[in-house]
Amino acid sequence: MIELDHVSVRFQDRIVLDDISVSLSEHRIGVIGDNGSGKSTFARLLNGLLVPDNGFVKVQDLDTRTDGKEIRSRVGFLFQNPNNQIVMPTVSEEVELGLKPLKLAAVDRARRVEETLKRFSLTHLADRSAHLLSGGEKQLLALAGVMVTEPDILVCDEPTTLLDRRNATHVMRLIADLPCQVIFITHHVEHLDDFDRVLVIANGKITNDGSPTNTIPQYLETLT
Amino acid sequence: MIVGLYVPGESIIHRLSAGLKLIALFCIGIILIVLDGSMPLATLAMGVAFVFIFVAGLGLQHLWMATRPLLIWFALIALAQIWFADMQTAANVILRLLALVWTAAIVTYTTRLTDMSTVIARLCEPLRPLGVSPDRVAFLITLTIRLIPAVFETVRDVREAQRARGLERVYLAGFVPVLTRVLRQSDDLSDALVARGFERWDGS
Repeated sequence: MIELDHVSVRFQDRIVLDDISVSLSEHRIGVIGDNGSGKSTFARLLNGLLVPDNGFVKVQDLDTRTDGKEIRSRVGFLFQNPNNQIVMPTVSEEVELGLKPLKLAAVDRARRVEETLKRFSLTHLADRSAHLLSGGEKQLLALAGVMVTEPDILVCDEPTTLLDRRNATHVMRLIADLPCQVIFITHHVEHLDDFDRVLVIANGKITNDGSPTNTIPQYLETLT
Repeated sequence: MIVGLYVPGESIIHRLSAGLKLIALFCIGIILIVLDGSMPLATLAMGVAFVFIFVAGLGLQHLWMATRPLLIWFALIALAQIWFADMQTAANVILRLLALVWTAAIVTYTTRLTDMSTVIARLCEPLRPLGVSPDRVAFLITLTIRLIPAVFETVRDVREAQRARGLERVYLAGFVPVLTRVLRQSDDLSDALVARGFERWDGS
């Protein structure tokens, strides 16, 4: 459960998010909006990467302003560009990196890495250079690197934007099967058809909020 | 160019512990530096490295990959040695450097960066009372090695963009875009590390 209460964010003189109040409790929530509408800023608030100028963001009753570290151990974040997220040289090392803060025994760490690689169909790439993977494989790896820690909530900031249709569909299928709560920021509204709830952000405000069957057609109408 | 790229394998050298390999590299480095002027020793070290690269299941192309980026430096060093000393000294210095680079290449090709970073963290452990975080020092080194190819890639992208606009000879024009991109990538990487719990390492 994530709660935003009268949240505002400013970058210098520009108001990026303006007095937003919303509770996010559904299993899968999509967030759509134009470029510069404040979607990514909204996403970054949810795990405390960014703290609001006004109002507060609470994740499972923890305040992002004071409990950022604890919140980030519960909220995984998938970025748009996997190149900026992948740190380690090989696939298995990259997945293992996420486990470092958990201080697990080597055997348990190896088991978790093996299970995660298998779950995301990356076992055959375990020793491959992460740097040399295809775009789709890199995004899968980034997702595996986040999910290995088994977060309660996953925030995805346009993870399919740089992928072709086949890879985007594959990533979406994997995300659909995740047991954790997913907050999914995207331009690709077709990915949100079976989501529980969709928020539309425009000019820093939530302008529409409801089921995909209501919100998406209304959003598409505003584009024409 | 890929720096510090681990090549997976099952050879005996792959299976040796990272600590042992780093100690061996350290000792060979010390011997090659301390025994100044020992050309037979440098030749022997090169020969051993040459044999070991095959024992590790690697090939000549791996030695070439490790040597190629340094050729210009070898040439400059050799010229300086010939200028200030003589041909034999130059040959001796270059042979020792080559032996060292090849030995280091074998270690990096056969050792996972994570294993190396674990050893580095262990070595830094005595510094913990001074406020040094061994895990963070080890990770810093790992990250630096990992990011070298990323910076080269950025330089290549910017140069390609310049060439596409007919600016291939204006080298300075690429400096600002490369710097801007690298700084932006650093920001993104820093966000990604925070999001993945970097601040909780060492239980902090």
